[in-house]
Amino acid sequence: MDDSPPAPPAEQTPPPPPVAHSGSPTDFLKGVVGKRVIVRLNSGVDYRGVLSCLDGYMNIALEQTEEHVNGNVTNRYGDAFIRGNNVLYISADEAL
Amino acid sequence: MASQILPLELIDRCIGSRIWVIMKGDREFTGTLLGFDDFVNMVLEDVIEYEITPEGRKSNKLAQTLLNGNNICMLIPGSSGPEDS
Amino acid sequence: MDPSSSGIQEPFDLIRLSLSERVFVKLRGDREMTGILHAYDGHMNLILSDVEETIMIVDENTAGGQGAVSVAKRKMDMLFVRGDGVILVSPPSRT
Repeated sequence: MDDSPPAPPAEQTPPPPPVAHSGSPTDFLKGVVGKRVIVRLNSGVDYRGVLSCLDGYMNIALEQTEEHVNGNVTNRYGDAFIRGNNVLYISADEAL
Repeated sequence: MASQILPLELIDRCIGSRIWVIMKGDREFTGTLLGFDDFVNMVLEDVIEYEITPEGRKSNKLAQTLLNGNNICMLIPGSSGPEDS
Repeated sequence: MDPSSSGIQEPFDLIRLSLSERVFVKLRGDREMTGILHAYDGHMNLILSDVEETIMIVDENTAGGQGAVSVAKRKMDMLFVRGDGVILVSPPSRT
C-alpha cells in the first residue's frame, strides 16, 4: 500500500543559483529573452519591447514594441524584426 | 619570449571592475564589466551612457546592458569615465 | 517554449511568417514603405510588391524649429530591397 504521507520536503539545499553567472554576452541574452528591453540603434532611435528572440548577428525579434525618437513615442509595432547591424546595445528594462 | 599580455587578457582582468568604453562616434559608456566575447561585445552593469553633443554631454543611466562590439573604439580599464578626468 | 512568442525561435521566423502579407519596412535614410512580402534571404534582401514608399523630407532652413517635415509618397509594383539598408521589418499584427 502506498498510503504513506508524502515525503517531507527534502532538507537538501536548493541547487545553487547560477553561480555568479559568468556574465558573457550569451548568458546575458539567455537571461533577457522574454523580458522588457531597450534596444538602441546607432542612429539613437530606441525600441522598447519584449525580447522574443535573437540570433548571432544580433538580429532581434521584439514584441509590443514602441519606437522612441528623442523621448517621444513615434510608432508602435505588434512585432518587429530589427536587423542586427543597426544595434548599438540591448539593455534590460526590468529586473533580471 | 618575454611574457606578453594579449589585449583581450587585459580586458579579461577588468571583469568585475569599472571600465570606460569610447565608441567610434560621439558616444561613451562606463559600467562594471561582467563579461565579453571574441567580438568584444560587452556586458556591463550600472551603466552610464554619455552622448557628446554640441550642447554638452548628455548622460543616461542603464541597467544590465549588452553593448555591441562593432563600434567600440577604445577601452579604459578602471576608469569611471569622463567625469573622472 | 515561451508561449508568448508563438512558434518564433529565431528572428527570421518573424519574417517567414509574414510571407505573402503586407509588411512595414524601415530603411536607412528616413525611408519607410509597406508592401506584400514575396521573398527574403539571410541578408534581409526583400522582394516586395504593391509597394507604397514614404519619404520624409525635412526642410532644414526653417528658422529655430526642428524643420518642417513634409511627406512624399510613391507607389511601385514590384521592388527589390537590398538587405543592408534595412533597419526594421514589422509584420501585420498577429491576432
